[in-house]
Amino acid sequence: MDLMLIIGLIVLLIIVVVLLWFFSYYNRVIRYENRIDNAWAQIDVQLKRRADLIPNLMETVKGYMNHERGTLEAVTKARSAVMTAKSPQESMDANNMLTGALKTLFAVAESYPDLKANQNFLQLQDELTHTEDKISYSRQHFNDSVMQFNNLIETFPGNIFANMMGKKERQMLQIPEASREVPKVSF
Amino acid sequence: MAPQPRLIEDHIRKNKFDTLVICMFMVILLFSVIFAIGYILGAPPILTMMIGLPIALFYIFITYSFSIQSVISAAGARPVNPQNREEKLLSYKVEEMAVAAGLPTPKVYVQESKDINAFATGHKPSDAIICATTGALQQLNSEELEGVIGHEMSHIRNRDILVMTVTVGVVGAIALIAEIALRMMFFTGGRSGGDRKGGGNIIVLVIAIIFIILAPIFSRLTYLAISRRREYLADADGAYLTRNPEGLAKALEKIKADLPDDPKGSKTVAPLYISNPFKRALRDSIWSTHPPLDERIRRLRSM
Repeated sequence: MDLMLIIGLIVLLIIVVVLLWFFSYYNRVIRYENRIDNAWAQIDVQLKRRADLIPNLMETVKGYMNHERGTLEAVTKARSAVMTAKSPQESMDANNMLTGALKTLFAVAESYPDLKANQNFLQLQDELTHTEDKISYSRQHFNDSVMQFNNLIETFPGNIFANMMGKKERQMLQIPEASREVPKVSF
Repeated sequence: MAPQPRLIEDHIRKNKFDTLVICMFMVILLFSVIFAIGYILGAPPILTMMIGLPIALFYIFITYSFSIQSVISAAGARPVNPQNREEKLLSYKVEEMAVAAGLPTPKVYVQESKDINAFATGHKPSDAIICATTGALQQLNSEELEGVIGHEMSHIRNRDILVMTVTVGVVGAIALIAEIALRMMFFTGGRSGGDRKGGGNIIVLVIAIIFIILAPIFSRLTYLAISRRREYLADADGAYLTRNPEGLAKALEKIKADLPDDPKGSKTVAPLYISNPFKRALRDSIWSTHPPLDERIRRLRSM
C-alpha cells in the first residue's frame, strides 16, 4: 500500500516536471519565433527609411551632377527594386544593389567640391550611411535570432516537442560577400 | 582557467544567472553583517530583524532608485546634442549597436573630458544610458568608436549595469554599517558577557567582530573580481556585436597611449567606465577595477 503510494507520487512528480518543462519550452519557442519576426520588421523599417531618403538625395544632387546620368539612374532603379521586392531575400538583394549604386554615387561626388560643401548633401550622406549600417546590423541580429531558434528546435530533447508543435527550421538571410566574419569567441 | 570557446547565448544566459546569484550574495552578506552586529549588541534576533532589515532594504531601494541620476551628475554628463555632427554620429552608433544586440536604443549622453572614455548605466535595457567623453568623440575613428559602444552595449545586454549598481550600493552600505558598529562597540564595549550563558559565546562574539571587520574588505574584493571578469566578457561580446574585435583593440590602444589627466566623476562609479578614469592597471591585481589594457588587447587580437 505504502509502496504503491510512493510509486504513484513519483509518477505524478515526473508528469508534473515534464509538463512544466514543456510549458517553459513552448514559451521559449514562441518568444524566439517572435524575435525573428520582430527582427525582420526592424530590417523592413530601415529599408523603407532608406528608400525614403533617396528622392531627397536625388533632389540635392541633381543641380551638381547632371553629367552623371548613369550613376543617378542606377540609384533610382535600385530604389524601385527595394520598394517592389516581395520576399525577404529579394529585399536584401535589392538593398545590396542600392548599397552598391550609392557607393558609386558618393565616390563620384568626391570630384564635385561644390556638392561636397553642401550641408544638405553631407547630412544625407551621414544618414544614408547610418541606415545602411543599421540594415546590416539588423540583418546580423535577424540571423543571430534565426540561429538561436534553429538551435532550440533542433537539439534533443526539444526537437520532439518542436515536431509536435509543427515548428520548422527558419532560413537565414544570405550575407553579401563583403560582410565581416563572425569572430571566434573564447574565454 | 583554461580558455575554452563557448556559444555566445550560453554565456549570456549564464551571466544573467550569475547576476542574480551575485545580487543575492551581496544582500545576504549585508544581512549577515546586520545580524552579527545585533548579536554583539545583545539584541534579540527578532529585534535585529525588525529594525535592521527594513533599514537595509530601504537603503538598497534608495541606491537603486537614484543610481542613474547620481552616476550622470557625478560624471557631469549632458544629453547628446544632435546639432553637433560628432555627437550625432555617436547617437547613430548607439542606435546601430542597439539594433545589433536587439535591445531598445539607450539614451545617449556626453561627458566633457579630454580623456577617451565611455560608460553605461541603468537598471535594465529599457532605461539604460550610454555616455561617451568628448575626448573619445574627437580622438576615436568610426570603427574604434563602434568597438567602444559595442562594449558598453554588451554591459547593458549582460545586465552588468544592474550588478554594478546594486553592488556599488551594497558595498557602500556594508562599509558604512560596519564602521558604525565598530565605533559603537568601541564606546560601549559591546554587551557585557554576564547576559550570556557559557564561555562558548565569547568565541562566537569574537568571530562576529572579525566578520564585521572583514566584511567590507570581502565585499569590495568580490565586487572588484566581478568587475574585472565582466570587462573581459563585455570585450568579447562587444566584438561579437560588431564582428570586428580589431576596432575595440585599436580603441583600447589609444586609451592606453592617452594617460588619464582629466578625470571627472566619483571613484565609486569608476568600474562603470570602459577603462578606469583614475588610473591604469599595468598588472593584474585583486585591487584593480579593470583588467590590464595589454591583456584585454591581447585577448581581442586572439579571437
